[in-house]
Amino acid sequence: MQFEENIRVALRGLIDHKFRSFLTMLGIIFGVASVIAMLSIGEGAKRSAIAKYQDLGVNNIIIRDKQFSDEELEEVRAKFSQGLSLNDAQVIKEVVPGVLRVASQAELTTDVKQADKSARSTIIGITPDYIRLLNIELGKGSFINEDHYKRNLKVCVLGAGVSKTLFQHKNPLGKMVKIDDQWFEVVGIMKSKALFTETVGELASRDMNTDIYVPLTTYMNRFTQENTLSSEIQQITVQVASSDKLMEISELIKGVLQRHHFNNDDYSVVIPFELLKQEEKERQIYNFLLGAIAAISLLVGGIGIMNIMLATVMERTREIGIRRAIGARKTDIMSQFVTEAVAISITGGIIGVILGVSLSLTITLITDVETYIRLYSVFLAFGFSVLVGISFGYLPAKNAANLKPIDSIRYE
Amino acid sequence: MLIEIKDLYKNYRMDNVEVEALKALNLQIKQNEYVAIMGPSGSGKSTLMNILGCLDTPTEGQYLFKNVDVSTLDDDSLSAMRNKEIGFVFQNFNLLPRMSSLYNVEMPLMYAGIHKTERRERALKALERVGLSDRVDHRPSELSGGQRQRVAIARALVSNPGILLADEPTGALDTKTGDEIMLLFNKLHQEGNTIILITHEQEIANFAHRTIHIRDGMIHSDKPNDPILVTQKISALVSR
Repeated sequence: MQFEENIRVALRGLIDHKFRSFLTMLGIIFGVASVIAMLSIGEGAKRSAIAKYQDLGVNNIIIRDKQFSDEELEEVRAKFSQGLSLNDAQVIKEVVPGVLRVASQAELTTDVKQADKSARSTIIGITPDYIRLLNIELGKGSFINEDHYKRNLKVCVLGAGVSKTLFQHKNPLGKMVKIDDQWFEVVGIMKSKALFTETVGELASRDMNTDIYVPLTTYMNRFTQENTLSSEIQQITVQVASSDKLMEISELIKGVLQRHHFNNDDYSVVIPFELLKQEEKERQIYNFLLGAIAAISLLVGGIGIMNIMLATVMERTREIGIRRAIGARKTDIMSQFVTEAVAISITGGIIGVILGVSLSLTITLITDVETYIRLYSVFLAFGFSVLVGISFGYLPAKNAANLKPIDSIRYE
Repeated sequence: MLIEIKDLYKNYRMDNVEVEALKALNLQIKQNEYVAIMGPSGSGKSTLMNILGCLDTPTEGQYLFKNVDVSTLDDDSLSAMRNKEIGFVFQNFNLLPRMSSLYNVEMPLMYAGIHKTERRERALKALERVGLSDRVDHRPSELSGGQRQRVAIARALVSNPGILLADEPTGALDTKTGDEIMLLFNKLHQEGNTIILITHEQEIANFAHRTIHIRDGMIHSDKPNDPILVTQKISALVSR
């Protein structure tokens, strides 16, 4: 029988028994929808993670000054460690091989004022290399440069959030802000940055839009530390040439720091890339489990199709007998029923795709969970549904084809 | 010779008992004959019909149809034979209830791979021959018993088969409608078709030109019907 005729006959069978066809499809619909939803949740998680780690720099090693209480600080100082210092950064730069750049930063939190507006902000004293190590983007104006740094100029670059609070929609460039009772000129504004809401290793989550950058030299001149025991700087960011060497280089850095801090454990070394890989591994297990669940539900869907089709074949014994009597070959009957099974599963697949995509979009809309739908997942889920249709339609179709025409025609 | 059956045996296995349904059967049917096969229940007439209709193959012996030995054919070839050479007409019509008359009649041509346009044309012609041109889009449920049987006959005719094989064609119809159908068969016979009628009713067998009696799996008698009686019967109906 011609192919298109087959399809028409199959679709006819589907439409004639709408409700039953729908029930049969349910398993496929849910299976496909769940595959797509789960893959998109997984993909969304992966992308969030990558974005998060890209902010910190995939080729970076971050050395963070530990937050100690006064007692702990006293103890450590007594044991000769001065805490994280510019000297540490210098040594790392000169001694450790494979290091591309080193940037140091010091931080304090204070109020910043402009006219009648005030904002609480983290002031970060930085070295000019900073913008090349961390994934932050300049919006308007210019960033802290060598000149600002060498001349200890009182200039600052505002984070998008703090700029909006202090200046609303007015242009802040060239204007003055009061940081901790000192006037600074605004030379640039950063682009708005999405916040990462989780802690990465020992790095606390924060909103970088409330940061203000000033040259580190100016910082050290102008801002006195409240606590004389505090370390000179709070963070050193080391950028390496190649991510393969990350572990190796971090070991060397730890060695340097250990010596310079006299075996005091007052700093933490965070390697974002390694953390990313770790998270990736965990996620793979999770994805596998989700995949297994989805696969099982597809399988159940297939069994559902098979059952319904077996029942359908029985009910249509007479019809099959008639078709055989007027000249249908066994293959004609087989293809009719396999086509029906495939038609059911494809229709179920299409509905499942629509459901799965809608589900993913809804999840992103109403919860914090990120989803990202990749085209391959749609094709994968759809392809599987076709496969299920063919596999589970085969047995019933074979049964139908093997019915003896003589007996079938008389079947009541 | 259209049909030649030589020394045919057909055995069945039923509940571990070997049943000889047909024994040492010999039969010849020429082109354009009109034959009635009669016999009581269990006589083997159904088995003979199945073999004639290529729905079953003999255990022993030969069945030659247009000089082709059907008894050695495989399943696909038998299907092809049924498609092209056998036009079945059943007691219960056996139409697909959800399809139109036209679709039902087109079906054998679909399985023959005939293209849509030609198919439709031939189906319409077949329906015309049985007098149902005005009912082509009706479904079986919208037709009377007699009309349904006509559709079934049109379906049987559409491939221009070697034989029309009718199994109790009037069994589900009232006398008047049954007579109309027999008149139709008569017309088709005059137009050149070969008709084999399976029946247990003498009245119906009397429409044919030759009656074969089967009993206990063997041919009991094989005689031509009185042509005068046949003509009388037809005229009586036509004048009504």
